[in-house]
Amino acid sequence: MKRFLIPLGLLALIAPGLAFAAPMKKAKPVLTPLPIEEREEPAPPNDVFESVNRVTFAFNDGIDAVLINPLVTVWNTVIPSFVRTGVGNFFNNLDDIYVGANHVLQGNGARAAMDFQRVVVNSTIGIVGLVDVGAKMGINKVDGDFGQTLGVWGIPSGPYLILPLIGPSTVRETAGRGGRILTDPRTYMDRVPSYALMGLEYVQIRADSKANEGLIAASSLDRYVFVRNLYLQKRALMVKSGRETLNSSQAAK
Amino acid sequence: MGKGLRLIFRVVAFLAALSLSSAYADAPSPDELVRKLAAEMTSAVRSDPDLQNPGSLKISDFVQKNIVPRFDFDRITQIAMGRNWAKANPTEQKQIIAEFSKLLTRTYSNAIASLKDLDVEVKSTRVLTPNTDVTVKTQMIGRPQPVAIDYSLINGAGGWRVYDVTVEGISLVAAYRDEFSGLVSQSGVAGLIDALKTKNGG
Repeated sequence: MKRFLIPLGLLALIAPGLAFAAPMKKAKPVLTPLPIEEREEPAPPNDVFESVNRVTFAFNDGIDAVLINPLVTVWNTVIPSFVRTGVGNFFNNLDDIYVGANHVLQGNGARAAMDFQRVVVNSTIGIVGLVDVGAKMGINKVDGDFGQTLGVWGIPSGPYLILPLIGPSTVRETAGRGGRILTDPRTYMDRVPSYALMGLEYVQIRADSKANEGLIAASSLDRYVFVRNLYLQKRALMVKSGRETLNSSQAAK
Repeated sequence: MGKGLRLIFRVVAFLAALSLSSAYADAPSPDELVRKLAAEMTSAVRSDPDLQNPGSLKISDFVQKNIVPRFDFDRITQIAMGRNWAKANPTEQKQIIAEFSKLLTRTYSNAIASLKDLDVEVKSTRVLTPNTDVTVKTQMIGRPQPVAIDYSLINGAGGWRVYDVTVEGISLVAAYRDEFSGLVSQSGVAGLIDALKTKNGG
């Protein structure tokens, strides 16, 4: 039976080619691409909490309008750009410790070594992380977090969630965030410096993503759905690439 | 998430680069095409201050003339519609294509201004169907972090044309799929067309 199918399959490959064999002015496709309706349809997003999420989404918009947007405007106008970059680098440097640790947990030793190399270089030559020397040396920062690690370990993402102030997440990513908070030194500092540092990081991150938020608002029909799609695509991709690295390193052993 | 999204903002910058392809009637390979066009497009933006000024009329003119023809909006719309495409009649399909291409063009046009400080490196090409369907992987450099942008091109009646743009692995066309299917299931194809028209300002 299989032997019969193979020539049939070859014929199917050749047939479209024959259709285009007639002389044409321009180079025409030899093979036709997969028809659109046969392309992979992604599964619909798991958003069982949509009605609650939409309320939180609107709540976050309200907080943005009265509090965050003015703060971001002050941040962007009052603080000189080199200070803003320095603050961003400083928090990125702290984050790299977590990124590296998570790459270890994901079995990605090669990348973890790069992450830690960045931390060493940036913390020393880069003046406690204010300058991203690592990037200048050709080692760029990459993402990595505990939510991704859980995903690489095979834990499903669970339903989509909108967290107050933070925004898009899933049950798994929220658990990952919890792990991060428990291991963050700021959690155990005195309240005032702890909140000050967290607030600073928050404003810096939000200021950084403002341009995107504007673009999303301009390009989306239903911003809630658009943001959800982008977030879930991004998270799925991080888990997928983490898993691929793990599988290939296991295969090499 | 912020980072991934921020990247989208720069997509059009390079999309612009694909625009001069008419100059290469017998273009060799899509990656060669992308490489040459990127070089020409960045120099065009650098030498014309009007193209560096977001919101200028010259940009929309430039985009219409040079970029829009390099996009396969029929295919883009069909992918974004997924299985709902069959629910629209031919007139509705034409309307959706027209409104969606207008939305995309309008939203991303101004980003070409940022090409001024950017360069594009073609990294590799993934062939899905030889001579027909390829993905050209590029890296946009000139920002603190290089940005991976992949262009999926299809070789059809109009030559090689882009039908999806992926920024750091996030597909721009797929980003619309949930919105479209949500609107269609809520208020039908007509509701989707209305939403697109409203978004486009009438």
